[in-house]
Amino acid sequence: MIQVRHITKTYGKKQNKFVALDDVSFSIPTGASVAILGKSGSGKSTLMHAMSGLDRPEQGEVVIDDENILKLKQKAVDRFRATKISFVFQSFFVQANETCFDNVSLPLEIANVPARERKRRVVAALEAVDLGDKVRSKAKNLSGGQKQRLAIARAIVNEPQILFADEPTGNLDSATGDIVEKLLFDYNKKNGTTLIVVTHDHDLAAKCDIKITIKDGKIESISERQAKSKKPAHRRRVQL
Amino acid sequence: MRRRDIIRRAGRSLRQAKIRTLLTALAISVGAFTITLALAAGTGGKEYTDNLIKNNGDARSLSVFAKTQQKETEGPKKYGEIDDTVSQGYLGDSDIAKIKSVPGVESATPTYSVSAAYMVGPNNEKYETELSIKIDQTGVDLAAGSLENNQPKPGTVLVSDSYIEVLGYTSAQEAIGKPITLHINKLSVPGMPAEGKNMTFTIAAVDKKSDTSLNYQDGVRVSAADGKTIYDYQTPAAAANQYFGVTVRTADDADPQMVQAAIKDKGYEVFSLQDIQQVLFTFVNVVMGGAAGFGALAILASIFGIINTQYISVLERTQQIGLMKALGARRKDIGKLFRYEAAWVGFLGGLIGTLLALLVGLLNPWIAKQLNLEEGTNLLIFNPLYSVILILALMLVAVVAGWLPSRKAAKLDPIEALRTE
Repeated sequence: MIQVRHITKTYGKKQNKFVALDDVSFSIPTGASVAILGKSGSGKSTLMHAMSGLDRPEQGEVVIDDENILKLKQKAVDRFRATKISFVFQSFFVQANETCFDNVSLPLEIANVPARERKRRVVAALEAVDLGDKVRSKAKNLSGGQKQRLAIARAIVNEPQILFADEPTGNLDSATGDIVEKLLFDYNKKNGTTLIVVTHDHDLAAKCDIKITIKDGKIESISERQAKSKKPAHRRRVQL
Repeated sequence: MRRRDIIRRAGRSLRQAKIRTLLTALAISVGAFTITLALAAGTGGKEYTDNLIKNNGDARSLSVFAKTQQKETEGPKKYGEIDDTVSQGYLGDSDIAKIKSVPGVESATPTYSVSAAYMVGPNNEKYETELSIKIDQTGVDLAAGSLENNQPKPGTVLVSDSYIEVLGYTSAQEAIGKPITLHINKLSVPGMPAEGKNMTFTIAAVDKKSDTSLNYQDGVRVSAADGKTIYDYQTPAAAANQYFGVTVRTADDADPQMVQAAIKDKGYEVFSLQDIQQVLFTFVNVVMGGAAGFGALAILASIFGIINTQYISVLERTQQIGLMKALGARRKDIGKLFRYEAAWVGFLGGLIGTLLALLVGLLNPWIAKQLNLEEGTNLLIFNPLYSVILILALMLVAVVAGWLPSRKAAKLDPIEALRTE
């Protein structure tokens, strides 16, 4: 369960003041797939940064597993990011000159996982994204879709509770984009990992259990997908 | 993150910028090379001086002279005034007794000055010769024959090999055990016919100039006892028992430097081999220090290279740093990553410099030849310990130089770093 309560984040000072997030509140049940939908500049990325502990809004709290991560010390936040969450980015951020193995191994190294355990999990993660034959290949020799699959392998190797995907298909053609989407949603369903997709793509957002639309730093709407017989996700209307 | 993983990642990112890493390391290696060579030359120089001293003197031998006291006077002296400053002093028998009483003195032998008018060999041709007394036990390079304690026995002499031919011998070997006659003149007032006599000795050994010898002089050397006989015969009674100097031999168990100080306290001027050695060592140290100073300057210059390289590296890898931080890497891990990178560069530079210096060390025989040193003399001696210390020190310097860039990396805001566009 992720609870976001009354988050406000502003940039700049006095007349240059810009409110990126304005009293945003909602909650997400564990294991759900969530789309944070909004145009560029709407504040959706800032919201993701706040929820992952990268950014610290002036007001509000983000409660994950009964703990307000905005109140944690830097060391604990780092630990939280290293063990409980991971990211997939629009522009992949894979290290081009490193092998696939070293790319995927990075989160485990950061989390102090012993070398032998690392090897097993890295290979398993690469196989899960169908890159089992590229373990020793340099990341720069991969295609765009393969790079994003590599990024997904890196994101799932530490078995996160929450997986953030920031425009995961933004740099991909529709065919490879579909493969990447499928990987993400399959992982979400199979492992019960909460998937939070930040996007401006309505088609992608429509595939998520919950769709949170954000505009000018405020929540415009929260809608739930009705189709499947899934247990209805907890929802909370926000006073706008 | 574990240290090992950070070090591995640091090494890997250096490999990804091979040329830049190599160039930065080369800048450091110039300093490392210079310092390594300076230290090697210092070690070699000291060893060479040590050899030099061993061949030129005997550490247990001290030279004692009368103290020349001079009044501190300013400006010219008024005419007609009696000069009360003590002129060049001579030592007498009472001085010798005094010196002998100093603990640690085994023997005190006056330095007799002797001379010979000429020498004659089997071919009956007269040649001028230098005559001296061998009282010290300084080593000599023998061409033939043998000596006990590096001194000729009474009745025998040590002859330079350049004299052998003019004496009528074909080789140094042949001359051993053969006679040589010296004509000794009594010292008298100039203009008076000199009175003199022949003294015949057996050639015990033939010596030659050694490459490490500083002040070799061709000549004939007699034993201390024969020297005294010649002196007594030659020197007029008026000048007898006045010695220019005294050679002291210290006891086996005494420290020559302590004895030197004790004799000095009695009011004499004392010189020892250590004095010369110290002067030579100081010289070697100055040369070494100068060269090492240039090396240190080169390293100082290379520090800016490291800082620059590391700044560029941080800029280039902004995105990587952002990613690592987003994945939960600690600030200190990021800082360490860049500091270890700098340490690698320092290590590499030190290693390259040391290896290049070792290559120059292969020129040792050539250097010895160019400087006309004895074969087998190594003027460059490398001490592995120095190299290890130098490389460690360079790693430290590199880490310090990489401090600011690494701080910049550690402080980087992951959100900024990961902003696309």
